[in-house]
Amino acid sequence: MFYRLAGIRHTNYLKARQLFPLQFDRLLIGGLCVLALLAPLYLPSLYLNSYLMPWLLWVTAALGLNLLMGGAGQVHLGYGAVMGIGAYAAGHAARSGIPFEIALLLGGLAAAIIGTVFGAAALRVKGLYLAVTTLALQYLVDFVVLHVGAISGGSQASLQLPAVKILGQSVRSDAGLYFVALAGCVVVTIFMLNVRRTSLGRALAAVREKDYAAEILGVSAFRYKLLAFWVASFIGGTAGALLAFCYYKAVSPEQYHIDLSIQMLAVVIVGGLGSVLGCFFGAGLILLAPAFLNQLLSAVSTGLGLKLGTDLMTHAPLILYGSLIVGFLLFEPLGLAKIYDNARKMFLVWPFRHMRR
Amino acid sequence: MKLSRRQIVIATAVTLGTAYAPNVLAQEKVIKFGMAQDFTKVYTFVTAEYSQGQRDYFTLVNERGGVNGWKIQAEIVDTGNETQRGIEAYERFKREGVLLVDPLSTPVSRAIVPRALNDKINLITMFSGRSDAADGSVFPYVIPMSASYWSQASVLIEYIARQEKDLKGKKIAIVYIDTPFGKEPLPLLREIAKRRGFELLPFPYAPPGNEQAAVWTQVRRANPNWTLIWGGGVGQTVSLKEAIRNGISPEKIASVVWLSESDMKVVGNEAAKGTLKYEGAASGRDPKIIQDILKDVVAKGKGAGPQDLVGTSYYNIGVLSAALMVEGVRKGLEISKGAALTPQTLNEGLRSISKFTAEGLAPPITVTKTDHQGGGMGRVAQWDGRRWVAKSDWLSADQDLVWDLITQSSAEFKKGN
Repeated sequence: MFYRLAGIRHTNYLKARQLFPLQFDRLLIGGLCVLALLAPLYLPSLYLNSYLMPWLLWVTAALGLNLLMGGAGQVHLGYGAVMGIGAYAAGHAARSGIPFEIALLLGGLAAAIIGTVFGAAALRVKGLYLAVTTLALQYLVDFVVLHVGAISGGSQASLQLPAVKILGQSVRSDAGLYFVALAGCVVVTIFMLNVRRTSLGRALAAVREKDYAAEILGVSAFRYKLLAFWVASFIGGTAGALLAFCYYKAVSPEQYHIDLSIQMLAVVIVGGLGSVLGCFFGAGLILLAPAFLNQLLSAVSTGLGLKLGTDLMTHAPLILYGSLIVGFLLFEPLGLAKIYDNARKMFLVWPFRHMRR
Repeated sequence: MKLSRRQIVIATAVTLGTAYAPNVLAQEKVIKFGMAQDFTKVYTFVTAEYSQGQRDYFTLVNERGGVNGWKIQAEIVDTGNETQRGIEAYERFKREGVLLVDPLSTPVSRAIVPRALNDKINLITMFSGRSDAADGSVFPYVIPMSASYWSQASVLIEYIARQEKDLKGKKIAIVYIDTPFGKEPLPLLREIAKRRGFELLPFPYAPPGNEQAAVWTQVRRANPNWTLIWGGGVGQTVSLKEAIRNGISPEKIASVVWLSESDMKVVGNEAAKGTLKYEGAASGRDPKIIQDILKDVVAKGKGAGPQDLVGTSYYNIGVLSAALMVEGVRKGLEISKGAALTPQTLNEGLRSISKFTAEGLAPPITVTKTDHQGGGMGRVAQWDGRRWVAKSDWLSADQDLVWDLITQSSAEFKKGN
């Protein structure tokens, strides 16, 4: 009824293989893109620069981690550090006068190199063991940043960043920075949507399912594991740099701490392993829920004239937040994207329930 | 009468709906402050006590009719010490028109600094944040109004020097948490060591500091004359316990400002007897301002928290910060001649606070357009088993060395922009 499946016939390969074969999906995504492009017109700057923009940047970073975890099946507990490497490399590059675009790529490159070196551990260990070795990356990076003043930016350990410059034009307005973040997110999203259909994506899937079975099929696990770390770290590095330039406007160690790694992991798992859409949902829940729950609770309590103590007011949102995460995962262990997928499948053939596949 | 479920639901909805009429209708003259602090993660009980002090003082001011009729309204939100939540709270406060933001968190305040400078909104960073914000010419809108960690170290050394008569050839150890905060006093202490001729022995421990056994055996072997401890939260109590276990007398241990009555309870009130610490605001219930709060706020049941916390170190720091903010408002209203304050006029007000002691709670604090530190004074207090007893008068020392570091660091910040 909503998706109008009747009469859709894919008469050539090109049509059959397009990303979104159903017109309804295409319209939906087109509509969302238009909304995203026009956001600066209808959203107040508060929502633009403290909810929408960080959300996009987090999604961008989470997509990279999702390629590694959902695509190639390699656990990474030091992804925050990878983002930090990108931010510091890009920050120092931009401070020394290198144009922003190139600095961004340099940040990605630095993250990719260091990330791949640590990813090499994946060639020997798997699963939880790999998780611990990648955790070492996090602590090593934190340690090095803290102890090398030249990296962290002196005794205050806070590196101020110059303004974002695109093609020599400095971007300072909220809308401008939002578009930079949006562009980054769109590029990575399109890459991630397509990567599954490439030889790289298929090889990664083979490695994920069983690496020695992949070897028997002629897929080099050595090569593709390293490649997965390379690509994911590159995306993480650029996303970390974008996060620093567009949102924080400074780099300091606590922004890329172990907390960020854990939150990124949570985004990918709560959203849905291997799902592009899941990163959007997951980042929405993990990043934005605490702030909204805080506001919701304070609005309810002032509105009802309740005199709740500060202890309750500050801890209750955390309790709600935790129960939201647990609740969603109990309801659908495959993540938020799967919930959407279930609903979509229902509406595909609604009201003919027996047609559901 | 038997009610159906539907009737009950409707009745509840109606009651809730009528109750939900926004009850902030009063057209009062209100000045809004934004308190985006960490109640849940790292600072926890520090924030709880600090915030209680702030709110009690604001209640006291408002009960007395406000500042020239202007009431202070403090909005409180939890940031969990996370930078992005701090920024979100800051942006929301900005939209609601707050005149100043107080994050009481070094990471969060550092993340807000670029925005606050850009938006011209006052950022209060008492005993936290960037030490170089003392340079008002570079950080016009970041106002610590309190002795930086550098000044605290200099006060402690000055006190030790007064006890020892001569520091030449003496050994002073510093046991610190291995983070930017913990490492901050090192460059200053090295300079002072050169000037006064003592030997500085630095001993870092890994954050969060719940395991320091190896460090303290090294300290014992080094056998310093005095030991400074530089940490926050759990690291401080572990440091003290380990020191006592290693036979280092608490009377030869001096701490940064972050040591409170609650910490001493953890170490053991009697065991920790003699421990010294830097104090930026008097502890205890003796200061007149605390007496006023007890009489006019707490006794009337308007206190913001448990009564036994009134007068603890962090509570009093909260009162001091609130008193300084209110003094800034008073000065700002003088400048604006009674017109509604803007962040700019409040900024001028805060930066013209002169010799303010909050009725004996603090040393005379003078904030100027160039000096946001307020003089860098403090005193040393000693734990007597029940409370902190002042061991010196309000003093400051080696401020030339402190300011060398401040200008050096702020110049670096300026270069980056």
